[in-house]
Amino acid sequence: MVSSAVSHASPVVHAVHTQWSRMIATRRLYTGLGLLLLAYAFVASVQFADESNAGHFFDRLPHLFDFTSWLMPREWSDVWRALFDLPSLHDTGTEEYNFDVGRVYVWGSVYIPEYFELMFVTLNVALVATLISFFVAVPLSLLAAQNLSPSRPLCFMARRVLEFLRAFPTIVIAGLFAAVLSIGPVAAIIAVSLHAIGAIGKQFYEVAENIDMKAHEGVGAVGANWFERMRFAVLPQVLPNYLSYGLLRFEINVRSSTILGAVGAGGIGEELKLSISRGFGAKTLAMMLLLFLTVVAVDQFSAWLRRRLIGDEIIHQHV
Amino acid sequence: MNFELHQVTRRFHGKTAVDAVSLTIPHGQMVGVIGRSGAGKSTLLRMINRLVDPSEGVIRFGDTEVSRLKGTALRRWQSDCAMIFQQFNLVPRLDVLTNVLLGRLNRRSTTSSLLGLFTREERIQAIAALERLGIEQTALQAAGTLSGGQQQRVAIARALMQEPKMLLADEPIASLDPLNAKIVMDSLRDINEREGITVITNLHTLDTARNYCERIVGMAQGRVVFDGPPDALTAEVVAAIYGTGRDGAGIDESMTSTALPASAAQAAGATPSARESSMATA
Repeated sequence: MVSSAVSHASPVVHAVHTQWSRMIATRRLYTGLGLLLLAYAFVASVQFADESNAGHFFDRLPHLFDFTSWLMPREWSDVWRALFDLPSLHDTGTEEYNFDVGRVYVWGSVYIPEYFELMFVTLNVALVATLISFFVAVPLSLLAAQNLSPSRPLCFMARRVLEFLRAFPTIVIAGLFAAVLSIGPVAAIIAVSLHAIGAIGKQFYEVAENIDMKAHEGVGAVGANWFERMRFAVLPQVLPNYLSYGLLRFEINVRSSTILGAVGAGGIGEELKLSISRGFGAKTLAMMLLLFLTVVAVDQFSAWLRRRLIGDEIIHQHV
Repeated sequence: MNFELHQVTRRFHGKTAVDAVSLTIPHGQMVGVIGRSGAGKSTLLRMINRLVDPSEGVIRFGDTEVSRLKGTALRRWQSDCAMIFQQFNLVPRLDVLTNVLLGRLNRRSTTSSLLGLFTREERIQAIAALERLGIEQTALQAAGTLSGGQQQRVAIARALMQEPKMLLADEPIASLDPLNAKIVMDSLRDINEREGITVITNLHTLDTARNYCERIVGMAQGRVVFDGPPDALTAEVVAAIYGTGRDGAGIDESMTSTALPASAAQAAGATPSARESSMATA
């Protein structure tokens, strides 16, 4: 049947075929050119980065694992001891092995190990910043979505605000606020929130622009105003995706608040940076382990929360 | 090659959607399945294509036990048993011709498919399928920009490209206006007659089922409550399938009817392509 289709096909069929082939050829040409450009840009950027590096990357590559030599603790149990503030077998009063000094006593002899307390400070910054940014980004994203925005100027302004917030690295904003509010978690919260509003706001309005407008039209047709349309036609559709992005942002915020700690905002980041710069192997490993476990825990928690809030029935909608 | 359903059952979370359905359909029959929404018509069709797996029972096509197929054999069956949907289920952002070419996916190597490399024969065959349905002029447009009637015809062209042994249609005309509904039903009948393949279609308009199908299956609450020729579909039978209104009055068929007056229908049937291709995007 296939071969006979060609010989029996009408002139119209061949004409359409020619047109279509031309369209596809043009499209392929542009795709090919785009890919070439991308490949060139990639190679050029890698070279540029390597050249502007102090030591050339490929020359230094064999020394990559030099770094690990000082990390090796004298005794592996020291990692656990550092993590839970238990006295080290090597404790000679130096700062490298004074694990039990940092205990935070809460009641009698019950204490929270120092690194857990610091991790909690960092997590707290991330959590508060995520909540703030989520609740600010939701309304902003509805104003910034072209299909939903009540007016064009408002849409324009909302987008510029989001871009502005996104433009500055968290560390720069933190530095600015630290100058005014003094160094500490509050400056970190503001810095992380502002950047996160810009970042998730953009993701949010892109989600909102991809929605099916049928429900919106239906609710609009009963005479609902903008707020009612958003509340009843848009939010039910976008919230599951907003939530996914919000939870992803929480994970990112944990990392950025750790980094902010390293520049003075407190929390585990500050301690980690000190420990690395002084070459404390056991302490550094303990904190890296704690950070890793925290990221895993946050990931598990957000997966659980998402399933609870969105419900299995939406994930497995098509039975 | 008979097609056979034996005691086919499907349950969703304890609710029985299809309840022990047994049917034997000789090759080349045109079958209409009617019933209220929720009667299990869609689930039945989806089980035949294996989009949904039966909870119990056996589906057999000739010597093949369809209900037990897995992997490659299952996908081969899905390609042999083309499906048309109420909402067309095209890829809106791809052009019409590529949508039609997707019907060949099961017959080709994955690599060449993913690169979008279809042979000249396949492309010509796809345009010819579009021409057969009178919409060859839309080949270069994005499928999402077509009107509902045009989109459903693209879906039929895609089904034709599968060179199927059976055609399933799940409420194919429920979203269409009467004229387009007629064009779509006529093409289904044409495929049934010219390709000689079995066509099973869910319908919600009784008169369409009467006009086009040689055999009608009525379903209620997951069970087959009627199976026979259109003539046997009396008012009592209709009441058994659909239930009666609260006031005890039966169903007025003219209320759901989408039939066209004879003259308009003739004009539509004669030149579907001329009418539709001038009707740009809707």
